[in-house]
Amino acid sequence: MNELIERAETINQLLARYGVKFGIYKNNTFHEQLFPFDAIPRVITKAEFEVMEKGLVQRVDALNQFLKDIYGKKQIVKDGVIPEEFVFSSSGYLPECEGILPPKGIYSHISGIDLVQAKDKSWYILEDNLRIPSGASYPLIARELCRRASPATFRNNGVIDNRNYAALLKETMEHVNCGGICVIMTPGRYNAAYFEHSYLAERTNSVLATCSDLFVENNCLYYKGYGQKKQKVGALYRRISDEYLDPCTFLPESLIGIPNLMSAYRAGNVSVINAPGNGVADDKGIYYFVPKMIEYYLKEEPILKNAPTYLPFYEKDRSYVLENLEKLVIKDVSEAGGYGVVFGRDLDKEQLERMRGLLITQSRRFIAQEVIDFLDLEIVEGYERVERKADLRAFVLTGEKTRVWASGLTRFSRNPDSFVVNSSQGGGFKDTWVLSH
Amino acid sequence: MGTISLEKMNHLFWLGRYAERVYTTLRMFDWYYDVMIDKNPMEYQEYCRRLAIPDIYTDVENFTQSYLFDGNNADSMYANLMRAFDNAVVIREEVSSEVLSYIQMSLDALKLSAGCAAPVLELQKVTDYLLAFWGCADDYVENEESRNVLKCGKYLERLDLYFRFDYPTAMLEKEYSKLKNRMCRVKLVCYDEKLEEFIQIVRNPEARKKKYTEALELLGEAVEV
Amino acid sequence: MKNLRFYYRMRLTFDQPVKEHDFALRFVPYSDSVQRIDIAGKTVEPADWLQEERDAFGNHLYIGRCSRPHDYFMYEVKGTAKVDAGCRVKEPCRECYAYPSKLTAGEPEVKRFLENVCLPDGGAFEKACILMQRLYDVFAYEPGATDIYTTAGEALRGGRGVCQDYAHIFIALCRQCRIPARYVAGLQIGEGATHAWAEIYEDGMWKGFDPTHNRFVDDVYIKLSHGRDYTDCILDRGIFYGQANQEQEIYVNVEEIV
Repeated sequence: MNELIERAETINQLLARYGVKFGIYKNNTFHEQLFPFDAIPRVITKAEFEVMEKGLVQRVDALNQFLKDIYGKKQIVKDGVIPEEFVFSSSGYLPECEGILPPKGIYSHISGIDLVQAKDKSWYILEDNLRIPSGASYPLIARELCRRASPATFRNNGVIDNRNYAALLKETMEHVNCGGICVIMTPGRYNAAYFEHSYLAERTNSVLATCSDLFVENNCLYYKGYGQKKQKVGALYRRISDEYLDPCTFLPESLIGIPNLMSAYRAGNVSVINAPGNGVADDKGIYYFVPKMIEYYLKEEPILKNAPTYLPFYEKDRSYVLENLEKLVIKDVSEAGGYGVVFGRDLDKEQLERMRGLLITQSRRFIAQEVIDFLDLEIVEGYERVERKADLRAFVLTGEKTRVWASGLTRFSRNPDSFVVNSSQGGGFKDTWVLSH
Repeated sequence: MGTISLEKMNHLFWLGRYAERVYTTLRMFDWYYDVMIDKNPMEYQEYCRRLAIPDIYTDVENFTQSYLFDGNNADSMYANLMRAFDNAVVIREEVSSEVLSYIQMSLDALKLSAGCAAPVLELQKVTDYLLAFWGCADDYVENEESRNVLKCGKYLERLDLYFRFDYPTAMLEKEYSKLKNRMCRVKLVCYDEKLEEFIQIVRNPEARKKKYTEALELLGEAVEV
Repeated sequence: MKNLRFYYRMRLTFDQPVKEHDFALRFVPYSDSVQRIDIAGKTVEPADWLQEERDAFGNHLYIGRCSRPHDYFMYEVKGTAKVDAGCRVKEPCRECYAYPSKLTAGEPEVKRFLENVCLPDGGAFEKACILMQRLYDVFAYEPGATDIYTTAGEALRGGRGVCQDYAHIFIALCRQCRIPARYVAGLQIGEGATHAWAEIYEDGMWKGFDPTHNRFVDDVYIKLSHGRDYTDCILDRGIFYGQANQEQEIYVNVEEIV
């Protein structure tokens, strides 16, 4: 493994060669930057992965059932397991999707579940991403390049090959394909994850399209071919968010959507991956209820733990939060990407008071969590090894069965004081090894 | 793979043109740069005139740095290579990551050579990567139609540049037949008669002088993209 | 019970041709327990194809597309409606009507409005009546003061608006008082334009309020669509390619058949 780490620079050069970048907007202009790669992998043993795998499959299956329930019978609400308000006032809940059963009943085809490992080695779920989780392409291409840079490392360590992601994704798309081609839809090259969109299209042999290549005719979605040829689209892996998806249904000002796509989807003529409306299940407020969903739908004990979470919405939780604010982390449920996260210990007296006020008046808007004592990971900085906060995004794909990709995106914060590992806030990434023994 | 959109065909065509523009003008640049070393330092004026780009340069040094490396100069080598990149990056899945990587590397190499004292030496890397790009495109661009469209762009651009730099008729004839060969195999809207008229002008030394602008216009209109 | 004859037409004129025009229309009234609709004729043109379906709120939706260049777009519908508000039957209420939407959010102006109203402990209907009266007293009808994106709070701040704003404010107020409410777009007796009003849910039934006119919805109203707010009920949505300026002309005529 030392050889691999010594060749980190070479690997980073190879990543640059292949344009492994993500885009960010600074002062309203678009910049692409390289996603710094640290060669020390996160290593997950076989035994550890087996537990994680079971837990993730269980969680994603329950979340899929929840979505089917919410956009259908709403039994979990009627049975009082989740307060109605948390579901129907969530910004991710889309009444426009009521009564639509997606092909094969799958809502979350590609789920990105964020986990952290605590010092006691136990894993905690940080959040679920059931809309358009990104990041799988980075460890996918990094592995390819690491193997080139240091074959011996992979000869000797028994690392499960993660390059089956493209095949998994392809199977997932084909499983729900309603007849026609598979298309990956991107908002365009100035999207933060454009590299990923184009790379996954290449790897899965799918057509990469923007809205101007696609149109709806007689309730079917078509790809505009060159020379008057059009092809029916059976599965659309769209990498744009719900509100921009269809300007005739959602935001009318969207210039990156496909007009009347929702009609083709409602008619069952195209699969939309992931299903619109999934935001209701990965809402930070709903997160609290996921263990209850597992018990409710699967009649099983949750295998993976949530970080200890409090809902100020509940009287009992609220008084605990108000008393212990200094040691908790507060998250605004409406924000994503590492924004809207406040650590109680960073607040001064006045800010604490203001936060307490908000927690009382807008109790539905926040969740509070105990700060987990992260198990930091080593990274190479200059000539030394230092420890940094890191999380793991596991990718769980639901097709005929739900499967966990034996890898994942490990992100770390480069700033020693930061707990936020989001790539849009300047972090780097590592390969994630799952060992075969 | 099945159909490709018209927009992607457009990108392929222009990727071909810009990659060729950089490759061939780099070769021209070498020649002119050599003259400017110790014979005529103002020779770049002639170079600009042939390419029909505005001569905004103060001296040979300014020309070398700005024309080669200045991204804000719309006529620079860098700007043209950037255009090749812009067209390539949006068709990764069509041309493959391998092919795209050579454009990326030639762009990085060009950036790195900015400010150096022996530009021609450094720019050899850019040329190397562009040649590798074409070789790689032959092997990795799987769709035949796509390959043909890419080559259409390449040969059309080459004809344009060879004409501007007054290449011998025999060389233009050679590129002309290559272009014809590709054009008949693509579904782009092509005007054979315009191309035919162009080559007629090329064949006649008198017409070459008299109908210089017209010839370039005909060539520009030969393929509709 | 009333027998009404209706005619509704919308025409867009573009000063330059547009193309690849996708549209979604909710212009045709449909039968329910209150209104029985007989369509005598409907037209949408130009269109390559037209498909009828139900949207998630139960409205009749017509989607279609015109890909070739065109310089106008129009639809019209005519028919008769047998309307009897007394025939309304009980039906379940969608959960979403109980919670604020984007245009009916619980903004400070909405909350302040409620602080200044004394509401009885009684039923939803009684509260809604008081809210409608109070709104009618303080809010002025004035076209041009707001636009289609104006929220209930913004409209209240300005104090002026049109039927859409009356409906939004009324719905926002009701929802703050935990009364489920929904937005309705439709036609009203007389000649002119389309109208908007609201319905509140009480005792398993929807009841119509027309806050613009401070009256209950009776047998001279024809519903076209309903939803959480204006956005769900838009009568015509369209996206096209082109740099054209457009001019819209709407004509509505509803008269009683005697």
